[in-house]
Amino acid sequence: MKNILLACSAGMSTSLLVKKMEEVAQSKGIEVNIWAVSQDKAMKEIEKADVLLIGPQMRFLKKKFSSVTEEQGIPLEVIDTLAYGRLDGEAVLNRALELMEN
Amino acid sequence: MENNKFMRFLENFLLPIADKLNNNRYLTSLRDGFMIALPLIIFGSIFVVIANLPFLDKVISAEALTAYQNALGPASAATLSLMGLFVIVGIGYKLTEHYKGEAIYGGVIALASVLIMTPQVLDGVSGVIPTASLGAQGMFLGIFTAFISAELYRFFVKKEWTIKMPPGVPGAVAKSFSALIPVTLTLTIFLIIRILFSYTTFETVQNFIYTVIQGPLTVLGSGLPATIVAVLLIQVFWFFGLHGQIIVNSVFDPIWYTLNEQNLAAFQAGTELPNIITKQFIDSFLVGMGGSGMTLAVIILIFIIGRSRQLKELAKLGTPSGIFNVNEPIIFGLPIILNPLVVIPWLVAPVVVTLTTYFAMATGLVPPPAGIIVPWTTPPILNGFLATGNAWQGGVLQAFNLFVVMLIWWPFLRIMDKKYYENEQVQK
Repeated sequence: MKNILLACSAGMSTSLLVKKMEEVAQSKGIEVNIWAVSQDKAMKEIEKADVLLIGPQMRFLKKKFSSVTEEQGIPLEVIDTLAYGRLDGEAVLNRALELMEN
Repeated sequence: MENNKFMRFLENFLLPIADKLNNNRYLTSLRDGFMIALPLIIFGSIFVVIANLPFLDKVISAEALTAYQNALGPASAATLSLMGLFVIVGIGYKLTEHYKGEAIYGGVIALASVLIMTPQVLDGVSGVIPTASLGAQGMFLGIFTAFISAELYRFFVKKEWTIKMPPGVPGAVAKSFSALIPVTLTLTIFLIIRILFSYTTFETVQNFIYTVIQGPLTVLGSGLPATIVAVLLIQVFWFFGLHGQIIVNSVFDPIWYTLNEQNLAAFQAGTELPNIITKQFIDSFLVGMGGSGMTLAVIILIFIIGRSRQLKELAKLGTPSGIFNVNEPIIFGLPIILNPLVVIPWLVAPVVVTLTTYFAMATGLVPPPAGIIVPWTTPPILNGFLATGNAWQGGVLQAFNLFVVMLIWWPFLRIMDKKYYENEQVQK
């Protein structure tokens, strides 16, 4: 089971995306565990994740998170703004899977 | 081309600011400290609303109403009116956690330090702590004390001025002993500060902070110019796709919450509300109408005038979350970020709404926010009704503001819609 963690300010808008990503994963039969948290909880949740994606509006957090993700050896990326705005679950899910493969 | 260069310059300029503000350990622990207090504050707010339901005085007798309000009173008295306490514990906890220390000690030391410096006499009666100094009035002293006490505690722990227990002693016992000396030293310092201040003309540290820092800052923050600057800053950050409130609020929240609480005290006492600009003025009437930049108005406008498929799809996508003031789909999807077509309405509309709201409240057409903290996900109209202490005028003002935002956006959204529509026709 792959674990995908999303983070934004309150975990609200990323949770919209989580729902879309889950729908795509289910229809494609991909087994993933996706969840969204607020930025203050993200630090603690990183250890349960295989990849961390952050909302573009919180991209100034990248530096703060990168110290932990590097230590854990997991990829970290800011979600593409277009995909974020369109709540494009498929694009974000594909990108997450891609990041975990490398 | 020139335009792009300027945009890139601004983005490169703003990103480090956002980064600095968000990674500053004092500002983040301040923000997180408020976050810890927030559920308690909202709990208290809900009971203020229930205790002051608008039709009650017509249904039940005056005595029954008083008894009912007295019964519910402690809910807000123990949370909303003492919010300073929770913020202080939260800040001490979060800052110590940041230093990877025993966070809970950071929290309780901050609390004890503030209590040590708080007057323990009220109207000649000793052995009491005036709740006023633990609410908004004590907020600034609390914030500074929490910072300093957490720093001192860390300093003494780092110096290893601690009592070490031999191995075999239970962990919990060893921990309380290891905290003993740092706690003692930290609290002693605050006791000395208290004693020293008793010899000055200020008499208490409270008075000193209130006169020198908190008073002037809240006066400044309650004014229209500072508010417009704050609102514009939020919008500019968002224009570059950065979360404006998270960044700006970490600086302004202590002021806005203080103003809020002054209003709450007046609302509960039934006297005139002293402030117009408060936390809810910003949250309910400016920022929180469908999300930052009042984009619920943009969604409605798309439904009215939109012709392009792209915009209509976006409006549908953004409606459910927009009603609850979450609007990232619109911000990144329209897109609003880095879009020269929308920069004017994006910056102008919130300023105009600040003015309409301010003057509606200053002239008495609409009562100012009553100091009740409405959860930011509460839909507009209902939100304005609750924030003004169950005044229907608050809901009407929000509806009016949404209409104003729509008017300002109208010409710009039309240009955008036309552009998208023509592109779609060409593609067909």
